[in-house]
Amino acid sequence: MSASREPALLGCESCGLVSANVVPEGDTSGWIQRCSLCGHALRARKPFAVQRTWACVAGAAVLYVPANVLPVLVTTNALQHGEHTLLGGIHELWVDGSWGLAIIVFIASIAVPVLKIGVLGLLAWTVRYAPAWRRLERARLYRLIEAVGHWSMLDVYVVLLLAATVRFGPLASAEAGPGLLWFAAVVVLTLLATWSFDPRLIWRDAEAPTNLQPAAT
Amino acid sequence: MSRDDDSLVVCEQCGLPHRWLPMASREIARCVRCDAVIGRGHRLSIMAVLALTTTAAAAWLVLVSAPLMSISLRGGTESATLPQSILAAWQGGQEVVAVLSAITALVAPAAFIALRLYVLAPLAAGRRPPGFAMCVRMLHQAGRWNMIEVFTVGVLLSLVRLSGLADTAPGPGLYALGAVTLLFAAIESAGLKHLWWQSS
Repeated sequence: MSASREPALLGCESCGLVSANVVPEGDTSGWIQRCSLCGHALRARKPFAVQRTWACVAGAAVLYVPANVLPVLVTTNALQHGEHTLLGGIHELWVDGSWGLAIIVFIASIAVPVLKIGVLGLLAWTVRYAPAWRRLERARLYRLIEAVGHWSMLDVYVVLLLAATVRFGPLASAEAGPGLLWFAAVVVLTLLATWSFDPRLIWRDAEAPTNLQPAAT
Repeated sequence: MSRDDDSLVVCEQCGLPHRWLPMASREIARCVRCDAVIGRGHRLSIMAVLALTTTAAAAWLVLVSAPLMSISLRGGTESATLPQSILAAWQGGQEVVAVLSAITALVAPAAFIALRLYVLAPLAAGRRPPGFAMCVRMLHQAGRWNMIEVFTVGVLLSLVRLSGLADTAPGPGLYALGAVTLLFAAIESAGLKHLWWQSS
C-alpha cells in the first residue's frame, strides 16, 4: 500500500454532523470542505500534526531543564532567605510529614509533564516508524494525557497565591522565582503538543471492524 | 432539527463511523475500535443547563470579588481575591505567569459562562442567537483552556502549606470557587454538539 486511504466519511468537530469526504481532482490547494450544518472546516487530519507535536515536545523537553534547576519560589523571613526548586519544595513537604501533599505535588509537577513529553514523543515516533504497534494502547495513552494535562498548572497557581498573600515585608514574604516562567512555558507547550497531535493518525490504514453498532454500556 | 435514528456518528478519536442510536439517560456509547466515548445519553435539558449556568454566573461574581483566603502573622493580615493574585504576579515582574493564569482561571471560565448564557437563553425560547456557530466554536476553546478545577486544588494546597507558618482562614471566595468548580463539571457533562440539534 503506497498512499494511505482517505476516509469516506468525516465527522464535524463542532456539531457532530457526518458528511461524505469530498476529494477534488487536480489542484487541491486552498480547498476546504465545510460542514453543511454549522460551517466548521472538515478535515480528515489535523494539518502538520506530527511536525507540530515534535516542535512543541522538543521545546518542552529543553525548557524542562531550567524549570527544574532554577528556583520557582523565593521566600524571606526574619531568619533566612530560601530558594525553592520544584523538587526541593516536594522534598520539604515530605520531610515535614505532609506525605499526601508531597505525592499530589509530585504527580502534578513532575509526573504529569514527564509523562506528557514521553508519551507524545512515543506517539509521534510510532505514527511513522511502527504504525501498527499496539494501536489500542496508544489510543488509550493519548486519552490519558489529554485528561490529566491541565493538572501540571497546579504549582504555578500555588506560587501565584503564596506570592499574593505572604506579604509581610522582612518578617515573611514569598515571591515567584525565575524557574516559574520556564515551568509555565513547559505547561503551555505540552498542552499545545497534545492538541496538535491527531489521534486518528494512530489508526491510519487499520482494518475497520465489521460490526459498527456502538457498544452501549 | 433532531438527529434521525438512522444517521451516523464518527468517532472523534479514530475517525471510524458508527450508526447513531438514541440513548437513554446515563447510557454511554463507545467506539468499537478505539474504545473512546462517542456519545452520551443526556440527562440535562436545555432549561436545566441554563439554570446551572445562571447559578454559576452568580457564584462567579462572588468568586472574583471576595477574598479566597486570608493569613495573619503577628497582628498583620493579608488577603487576596483571584484578580488581586494575578495582578500581584504582574506587578512582581512575572508577566507571562500572570497572563497564563488570567487566561486559564479568569478569562476562559468567564467566557465559559457568558457564551453559554448568550447561546442557551434564546435556545430555551426555541431560536438561535446571531453568531451561534462562532459561539459554539469559542465554547469549545473556552472548555479547553478553563482550568478552574486545578486552581481550586491550588488554593487548598496553599492554605495547607501556609497553615504551618501563620494563621490561615479560607475566605468566601473559596466557597464560591468550590461551587463554580462543581457547577462547571455538571454543565460540561451536557456537552456542546447537541446544542446544534436542539432547535429548528
